[in-house]
Amino acid sequence: MTTIAIEHLARVEGHGGITVELEGDAVANVRFDVFEGARLLEPLIRGKRYDEVAPILSRICAICSVAHSLTSLKATESAFGVRVSPQTELLRELLYRGESIESHALHLFLLAVPDYLNYPSATALAADKPAAVLLGLRLKKLGNQIQEAIGGRAVHPVNAVPGGFGRVPTLDQLIALRGSLMQGRTDADAVIDLVASLPAADFCHSDTVYAALRSPNLDRYYGGDEVMVVSNRSRAIVRAADYRELTNEKAVPHSHAKHSTFGGNPFMVGALARLTVNPRRLTGRLAVAMKRLKLLLPADNPMDNNKAQALELIDDLDRALESIEQLLRAGLKDERPMPVHPRAGTGTAITEAPRGLLIHSYTYDDEGRVTAADVVTPTALNAASLELHLRRAVEQCAERDEAVISKRLQMIARAYDPCISCSVHLVRKR
Amino acid sequence: MSKPTVGIFGLTGCAGDQLVILNCEDRLLDIVALIDIRDFLMASSENDEGCPLDIALVEGAVLSRRDADKLRAIRQRSKILVALGTCAVWGGVAAMDRGKDRARLLEEVYGEIGLTYDSSPAQALHEVVKVDLGIAGCPIEKEHFIAAVAALLNGDTPLYPEYPVCTECRMRENNCLLIERGELCCGPITAGGCEARCPELRVPCVGCRGPAGDTNVPSFVAMLEQKGFDRQQLAARLRTFAPEGVAQ
Ligand code: SF4
Ligand code: SF4
Repeated sequence: MTTIAIEHLARVEGHGGITVELEGDAVANVRFDVFEGARLLEPLIRGKRYDEVAPILSRICAICSVAHSLTSLKATESAFGVRVSPQTELLRELLYRGESIESHALHLFLLAVPDYLNYPSATALAADKPAAVLLGLRLKKLGNQIQEAIGGRAVHPVNAVPGGFGRVPTLDQLIALRGSLMQGRTDADAVIDLVASLPAADFCHSDTVYAALRSPNLDRYYGGDEVMVVSNRSRAIVRAADYRELTNEKAVPHSHAKHSTFGGNPFMVGALARLTVNPRRLTGRLAVAMKRLKLLLPADNPMDNNKAQALELIDDLDRALESIEQLLRAGLKDERPMPVHPRAGTGTAITEAPRGLLIHSYTYDDEGRVTAADVVTPTALNAASLELHLRRAVEQCAERDEAVISKRLQMIARAYDPCISCSVHLVRKR
Repeated sequence: MSKPTVGIFGLTGCAGDQLVILNCEDRLLDIVALIDIRDFLMASSENDEGCPLDIALVEGAVLSRRDADKLRAIRQRSKILVALGTCAVWGGVAAMDRGKDRARLLEEVYGEIGLTYDSSPAQALHEVVKVDLGIAGCPIEKEHFIAAVAALLNGDTPLYPEYPVCTECRMRENNCLLIERGELCCGPITAGGCEARCPELRVPCVGCRGPAGDTNVPSFVAMLEQKGFDRQQLAARLRTFAPEGVAQ
């Protein structure tokens, strides 16, 4: 038996590794190992009051902290039957776009692109090709500007509270954001040019099942509560309240992340899954860009997630602008959060974090204290699919050269954009 | 003069403080030009895991034997060790209620297999090794990071506010959430430095920067009790980001 071990997966969030065991030429075992310590935040929030939950659980992950905060609020509001205002919905959607822009720009330009061009890091890449890195930093900053203006902070937002926002951003802030976004849109072509110019990453093919939020109007990250699971053969819909159909997880000894399957099949979540489930997003400029990137859906190559992120990145700029226009047209109101009256019950929310489906589900007692909490993160949902794709990549690699295999495995793992801090937060045992 | 060698590390946390470093978009390439980053797993796949370091920046709390060993190894190779963020400085959110029975929680979440995981109650870095400088905040403020780099490059130590969030909140002339609206704001006992970020947005402070230097917690609790808050729940809330008994 030979073992290929990548002990510390670099250029990802958190601590993980990959181990492959070969029996002759056959792949005996593939593991995505998670070394992140268990923080146990879900059981620790039991007994906390509803207004403490989002600030604590946002700390599960920084890069997805908007998604964790807002999914948390959505679950709590659903448990208490609170309906937020249309303005709040729009602002939350805008805040999601900000996070998505920041996260995709960070992942694509600072973490993934160096692989394709054979650099160990974005700083090394910047020494030779500063334009690519500066482009990424510009877009990343724009995403952060949105998060700062709407969420009150770029990492762990403070302004989103149960029922709405502490303080609605000012007209001036929105107008300034609009200006920055219009400027940012002029970078869209450069994003597609760059990603289209990367060498093909063609070393893993596999039928893939995709799962994403079915958007009521096809382009929401925050709204909606139905998940669509799409495979070559079938489509299925899972409602938020039935999310456990997606997470019949089992704990595995090598990682603190449990593995999820749907109908016995691993499934992939994230940018590529979103575009596959909601193909009607892909019109106009996006359709043209998709052709240039030679992306065909449904894709059978997990590396295409990088292309999907590039498409979403340019789409996010447009959608963020649209949200701002809508807010301005409706006339910005200095609203206070909706009143929140706790009651006993369960609330479950599903949204699209930058890396894919994120689920928070809480049960409250009649004083609004948590009695049970479940958090299911995209990286945990993706773990089984990632292992499947890692296995395929080894099987499909003609050379048995450790360096070649190892590089491919790392590229696939990074294409999933794993967020390992997130992945250790799991549903309770049942 | 040769550039100081630097390592940036994460123990168990959320990567938020490392992300704040990457969020210095406008200055990132300038900062990188001034220092020699040798080990930064989140940003580079080419790291020197053994070289001596002038400065080690460490995020996250110690939550396992693995974390503790890693921290000791970092300490050994570093001249200056900086604790980055509230998890590293105070223990952070994973340290709340750290007296609870961990084995039970692990079993509850992961089943029996959880009992085999390498997992220990969260500790701040200074509870395990000597720490030379702490930069609190969940996450740290970008300006505080830049100030620290500038100061350390000059052989100085940066100073951060020890006065409470309340001081900054008053300077910004906000209406007091605690006194005027009866909301549970931790501003009076939480270290400033965030320009009263939350109360500025009419949102009560949850204490993410950890305890202020010289505050009278008992009198604060007494005042809140008078306002009708429940003592036990108050105590738990005040310990969300910094558990009891983590003296600096
Ligand atoms: S201090 Fe806050 S931002 Fe930093 S690692 Fe801990 S939870 Fe994340
Ligand atoms: S006001 Fe409090 S909770 Fe908000 S950023 Fe400052 S210290 Fe953190």
